[in-house]
Amino acid sequence: MTSFDDTDPVIFPAGAATQTSAAEAARGEWDAVIVGGGMAGSIVAEQLSQAGYQVLVVEAGPGKDLDLAEYESYLSRFYGAVVKDNQSPYPFNPNARMPRSTDTMPVNPGTPRDEFYLVQEDEYCSDTTFTRVLGGTSMHWEGKALRMLPEDFDLQTKYGQGLNWPLSYDDLEPYYRQAEAELGVAAEVEDQAYLGMHFPKGYVFPMHRMPPSYLDKTVARGVDGMRVNLADDDYTLRVRSFPQARNGVPNTAYDGGKGFVPVGAVSTNQVEEGERCQGNTNCVPLCPVQAKYHAGKTLTKALRKGNVKLLTQAVASKVEVNEEDRRITGITIKNYQSLESSSYETYTVKGTVYILCAHAIENARLMLASDMQRMSRSKLIGRNLMDHAYLLSWGLLPEPAGTMRGTSCTSGITDLRGGRFRRTQAGFGVDIHNDGWGWATGSPYTDLVELVDKQDLRGKELRRTLGNQISRQLLLAFMIDLLPDRNNTVTVDERYKDALDNLKPVVSLTIPPYTMRGAAFARDLATDIFAKLGAEEHTKYDRDRYSAVEYEGQWYNIVGGNHLAGTHIMGTDPTNSVVDHTQRSWDHDNLYLVGPGSLPSIGTSNISLTMAALAFRSSTHIVRHLRAAKAPATIRS
Amino acid sequence: MRNRVAATVTATATAHDWGSMSASEPEPSQDSRIKTIEELREYLYKGLQLEHATLPPYLTALYSLHPGKNSDAWHVIRVVAVEEMLHLTLVANVMNAVGGTPDLTTSGFVPDYPTRLPCGPDYFEVHLRPFSREALDTFMKIEKPAQAADEEDRFVPMDWAALGLAPAGATPAAGELAQLEESGAILGLVPGEPTQRFLSIGEFYEEIIRGINHLEDQARQAGTTIFTGDPARQVTPEYFYSGGGDVIKVTGRDTAVAALTLVAEQGEGLHGGIFDSQDEIAHYYRFQQLEKGRYYQKGDTPGHPSGPDVNVDWEAAYPVKPDIKLADLAGDPEILAAAEEFNRSYATFLTNINLAYNGRPDLLLKAVWEMFRIRDSMNRLIRNPLTGHGGFNAGPTFEI
Repeated sequence: MTSFDDTDPVIFPAGAATQTSAAEAARGEWDAVIVGGGMAGSIVAEQLSQAGYQVLVVEAGPGKDLDLAEYESYLSRFYGAVVKDNQSPYPFNPNARMPRSTDTMPVNPGTPRDEFYLVQEDEYCSDTTFTRVLGGTSMHWEGKALRMLPEDFDLQTKYGQGLNWPLSYDDLEPYYRQAEAELGVAAEVEDQAYLGMHFPKGYVFPMHRMPPSYLDKTVARGVDGMRVNLADDDYTLRVRSFPQARNGVPNTAYDGGKGFVPVGAVSTNQVEEGERCQGNTNCVPLCPVQAKYHAGKTLTKALRKGNVKLLTQAVASKVEVNEEDRRITGITIKNYQSLESSSYETYTVKGTVYILCAHAIENARLMLASDMQRMSRSKLIGRNLMDHAYLLSWGLLPEPAGTMRGTSCTSGITDLRGGRFRRTQAGFGVDIHNDGWGWATGSPYTDLVELVDKQDLRGKELRRTLGNQISRQLLLAFMIDLLPDRNNTVTVDERYKDALDNLKPVVSLTIPPYTMRGAAFARDLATDIFAKLGAEEHTKYDRDRYSAVEYEGQWYNIVGGNHLAGTHIMGTDPTNSVVDHTQRSWDHDNLYLVGPGSLPSIGTSNISLTMAALAFRSSTHIVRHLRAAKAPATIRS
Repeated sequence: MRNRVAATVTATATAHDWGSMSASEPEPSQDSRIKTIEELREYLYKGLQLEHATLPPYLTALYSLHPGKNSDAWHVIRVVAVEEMLHLTLVANVMNAVGGTPDLTTSGFVPDYPTRLPCGPDYFEVHLRPFSREALDTFMKIEKPAQAADEEDRFVPMDWAALGLAPAGATPAAGELAQLEESGAILGLVPGEPTQRFLSIGEFYEEIIRGINHLEDQARQAGTTIFTGDPARQVTPEYFYSGGGDVIKVTGRDTAVAALTLVAEQGEGLHGGIFDSQDEIAHYYRFQQLEKGRYYQKGDTPGHPSGPDVNVDWEAAYPVKPDIKLADLAGDPEILAAAEEFNRSYATFLTNINLAYNGRPDLLLKAVWEMFRIRDSMNRLIRNPLTGHGGFNAGPTFEI
């Protein structure tokens, strides 16, 4: 193993990913076994490593050492891909499949069994995804890092909707700051202190906000000061900068004047890249220079001290439970040899505590496949599945507005994230997309096809027209709250198995009227905003798509946000929730479910920052748990 | 680039520990050739010219690499290029601190390649050429110049005849000499002393530090200081697009010496070691990794990297015509137009950097976008074969 310098945060210890074998891991007695090498798993691993515990991280996806060569192989596959969806950088892996938006379809008896991973049998299908490689979904996330609003934590009490959290904003606030440091968030407090969000006196974010794009400023000229009336309340809109987990200009006032050192690209050798965002407008799925946070930046630190081992290509297939005391006795993994073959070996790894960090769908899938619902007092494993409901609106601005410059999304409208209207309809945030219509129409590729094939343009005329058209594109993405509903589910079904004979997740998601009221309002608001900006409306909803939802006689397309949450919600007692406020399972003493599945509501924040804050908070409880478990037993005479 | 400042700086100081440096106490035996503030500024101008002169060769080699190939080489050259820009910025900070005016837009600031750098008794030529073993060899020479054994060795009589610029024993005529000195065609001359040159660039920087010490001592005796520059003209870390190494704000003797020390040791490492005081692998050793096929890691000894493998494909580079000039492009009018456009955009880039060094440090952020334009513009040239040049491709001429 490469020696490394403790002070260098980005050197991944070479050989760490292959340092232990499944057989060896199964022989060990670990303090903690973590399932999933994504953001939550990496944070918990790093925190437990700091506390000196022996930790095993099992990761279903492939991932050799995190080095630049591997990252660049992802990039190069992405560049060469015809369809550039979130999973396009990653090799097809039959042994740990991931959902692809391009696979979205209702599965019926006629569907070939290998055409899909996320099984959906309903007419409405979500194209939502999560990523199964080392680093998890942080290998495709956009990098927005919003806090939830204080009112999101007690929606039921305040507005009679959704569920209350067992935690308040203030309980989570210190951990939000910890997460903002870990992820490296660029923002200004003066932009982010709205709708009750507050910060300790003197707090500044690690880095200054990303500069607003020219497109943001163009939209702001129409939107700032716009007034809307909603449920008898007046709201004034303005374009506001989003906090982002990508490297900007460090704030010298951070941490009482100590400043902040951005964490750049991860590799097994010293590279200097990604200390700042370059505005490549290619944030999703991968930042070309790793200026955007991904879990590898935390994982490198976790692997530092040598007390954390990593096992990749190890799919957790069953949680072993002692029927009598309901304690977890092991995790059975299927360790496959390569992506080309489905041959695998089965091992059971054992620890004092077990922490499932495999994201909302896989955590639930694994527990359900392990027949754990039977022991659940709440019967809520896999229920209350949530994801943000996205409604897209797109138009053409009268003048070139610099679309395709800046990071994917630098600003938006956040004034309707909260308010009394949430008694009757969902709140939403609005993203101004610097990357044009891509999400809605497949632009710029579809524009090119249209101009060449249908309008017969070529040469300079083609370049000029394409440039003119794309730089005028405006896409507003409305991220609409979806409340927990026990009928939105992840289940498993013996009919659906993957190459390793693991049960596939079956998802059933319905977009409720509460959310659709928000969507209908958003649609009208988009029309008003386009009118203010003199933009030509190009939005078209297609009732023949799987994303089509009818509401009050109108059809909309509601697409997935990849913000999956809620399948093991936290609450105040074992009958109303799967985990307690520390994300410990109510039903299994030595099991923690750490990840967005624990969120009882998602409000209008991208879930990662909240998930990361919760992971930090739970880590302190897991450390306490381990300390107690490993303390010498007192023998009374 | 390396210089001998390690000899004048007490060993243990780190980049974050300037206060403890004893660099501000010059050794009395060290005689300074720099006697006036104007002379110091002239030396610093030559320093700017010198630091910049490495960029076109590095950038040409960098962008000659086939896309998607040679990732290891790409990152190594890129980091060094970024750090040369850091050096340029550090020298500009020193210049501003002593009340000078950086000027990157003077005619002749960008050398007419090949330029010549002193290396011990000889000069070596620095060409604009594609990535190759020869280019790497030059890069390693740039980063690890000779160090004088003693005081007398620091200067070498200038042999103009060996360079073909004057008859044996003679010095070029005054007008020609002025032009040569200004043009950056021969670097490392002793300013105002055409019969002598520095043994190496390291000795050149050594002289600047001695000059700073000498002038500052004199000034202090008179109750003043040479650091009269407006602090607002300093480029501070938030404006420098980091790629390793930190910008040092220069406000006095210690920070000036620290800045110049960093310029020196990023070339060859702290006291010739693999790592510099900011724990960055020094440029010489970064390049050596390509030659040796292994990365350095902590604990290695110079010449014996033991880290992960480095994969270099020496063939995966476009065959850029070495030291190409606009005059070579007569047969390719479209390439000629693109080359002229590149030179214009490079001139604009230098103009903007110059504004940044003259009181508008925020303009450095904007320069990042311009560098993407420069990259694209270079790529256009480098990927186009020339007509009638035996299989060579075009390239940027840097005739500014």
